[in-house]
Amino acid sequence: MISANGALSCSYDYGEVTRSVLIAIVASYAALDVAGRVTAGKGRARLGWLGAGATAMGIGIWEMHFKGMLAFHLPVPVEYHWPTILAALWVAILASAIALYLASRPKMGWAEALCGGVIMGAGIVGLHYIGMAAMRLPAIARYSPLLVTCSILLAILFSLIALLMAFDLREETRWTVPRRLGSAIVMGVAVSGMHYTGMAAASFIPASPPNLSHTVSISAVGNNAIAIVTLIVLVAAMVTASVDRRASAVVERINQDLEQDLTRVTRVVAMGELVAAIAHEVNQPLTAIVTNGNFCLRRLDGATANADELRAAITEIVNDGTRASAVISRIRGLLMKGAARRTELDINQIIQDVTILLPNELTRNRVSLRTELASDLPRVHGDSVQLQQVLINLIMNAIEATRTSTDGKREILIRSAKNPDGVLVQVQDSGPGIEPELANRIFEPFFTTKAKGIGMGLSISHSIIESHGGRLWTTPSSNGALFEFTLPTDAAGVS
Amino acid sequence: MSEPESIVFVVDDDPSVRRAIKRLIGCVGLQVELFGSAQEFLASKVPNVPSCLVLDIRLPGISGLNLQHQLAKANIQIPIIFITAHGDIPMTVRAMKAGALEFLTKPFRDQDLLDAIQLALERDRSRRRQEAELAALRERFELLSPREREIVAMVVSGMLNKQIAAQIGTAENTVKVHRSRAMEKMQANSLADLVKMIQRLQVSPSKSP
Repeated sequence: MISANGALSCSYDYGEVTRSVLIAIVASYAALDVAGRVTAGKGRARLGWLGAGATAMGIGIWEMHFKGMLAFHLPVPVEYHWPTILAALWVAILASAIALYLASRPKMGWAEALCGGVIMGAGIVGLHYIGMAAMRLPAIARYSPLLVTCSILLAILFSLIALLMAFDLREETRWTVPRRLGSAIVMGVAVSGMHYTGMAAASFIPASPPNLSHTVSISAVGNNAIAIVTLIVLVAAMVTASVDRRASAVVERINQDLEQDLTRVTRVVAMGELVAAIAHEVNQPLTAIVTNGNFCLRRLDGATANADELRAAITEIVNDGTRASAVISRIRGLLMKGAARRTELDINQIIQDVTILLPNELTRNRVSLRTELASDLPRVHGDSVQLQQVLINLIMNAIEATRTSTDGKREILIRSAKNPDGVLVQVQDSGPGIEPELANRIFEPFFTTKAKGIGMGLSISHSIIESHGGRLWTTPSSNGALFEFTLPTDAAGVS
Repeated sequence: MSEPESIVFVVDDDPSVRRAIKRLIGCVGLQVELFGSAQEFLASKVPNVPSCLVLDIRLPGISGLNLQHQLAKANIQIPIIFITAHGDIPMTVRAMKAGALEFLTKPFRDQDLLDAIQLALERDRSRRRQEAELAALRERFELLSPREREIVAMVVSGMLNKQIAAQIGTAENTVKVHRSRAMEKMQANSLADLVKMIQRLQVSPSKSP
């Protein structure tokens, strides 16, 4: 009964030890699972998950310790001081809350991990030794300083590893479940290792019977009941986490679908507008051609043909055919997105080409477009299709802006001028202008003020002009919005 | 001065489409007048002959549909044939509900346009004829004396001469005289004729007798 150094001899119930290790593993798994939900949650949901998760995890760790203590048999009756046991539970829950909070933060540096590991380790050490202090038995506990230090270091090490694992595993990925299971086993074994080291650090010297106020003795039934309740809590935490995870995955998928639909609708609307514009531009000359052709046929059939009359009609047919084909080749030029082909070009020509494409849009929106083009401009080096894209983008934006014009004036002015850098092009509209606080953001990708916009137009235009060695910017103006861009001359040779 | 028998107005902002339509319509011997915008058309003096309007929907300034609305408000009843480079269903429905005669999509079949124009001119002609008849009828009605009008109203409502005489307190013969003079003035050959005439005057939108 009593060993050489006077301590009580002790033994372990290995079945209980195994069960305690299993509980540690389940608790670890639940903790990792819940850490993912805490990370995904926001506001109240996050707080709720943190509270519930910390409670489940704390109960799990506490029960592991408690079971570990019950697995430890001494030849004297042992009772437990229950207020102290409850205090140990509180410490476990608090340590779990801190751990979950740290693992769910967006970033975790080494300093934070280390600090968190120490706090959490201290919590577990506290839980363990407070738990030991709850023992009431006719003996005095003596602790081996070396083993106690070992147990503390183990607790901190275990906590550090657990934190890093939880942080790493909180995102949902493909191998999450097997990886989580592996980590949970490592953590469960580590926490048990800490516990049994701590237990080994204690030896019990027989002494007078203890004060048995506020104590309970734990029967086998009670022991199992606590274990079962703990497992139920842990499983409930995991099931809730799983349901929540699925629900949020569904919500996310619905959101994604909605977003895709919206993009598709926007694209379809844009395509529809383009097709309508093409149809209109091409249909006008076609109508004239068909009608003139019919006229010629009727004249010829009626044998009243007059050569001059027929020649006039056929000349118009030829002209309209050329006009239709010019519209088509311009549109093709606009849509083709090949490699940039840099040529020497006249910016005025590009402005004119673009304005030919837009009368339809202008008419529909009742906007008048004026151009003031300087005649003595140097040639610039660039890709005409890309520059057309930039101009169309600026003009379409201007058309949209004038729609909200308050005084009913709907004007767009395009100016070209010589500039120290090369040539300067300005697009000014009579709309409400750009709010000063937005002026810095309008060139950012995906920034848009339009209900149907995708926020790419100005951003693409900006990069096109920059790739030409020029600059695109907006200038505060008393009259609507003013966009300006420069392009270096050929001599400057930046491209 | 020689007023044309009928005239077709064409409003389209595309000059080459305009010219082609003029040639085609000229082929069937109709007179054509061209306009580049709704404003130009509104500013022109429209001769008082059977006519119709070939109207593009999409026009700078006042649109074709808008012009149709303005003409209706001004009570100018000219049959309208819409032509458009791309018409959608709501646009068509709107135009037809507002009384358009035809809605053609560019490029249209020449015969479709010519048929529509013929139909439109025919409608306008018959409307003008009816209006002229009604005007003549009204003129004749104006010739009746108040007593004659009173008696005509009772005759038309189916009362016998005797009943009329009793109601207005005069001799039956006097009623007969008034009645036959009214028939003469209205150029009605029979009682049935007179009833029809008065009915037409009553349903006509302008002032009732």
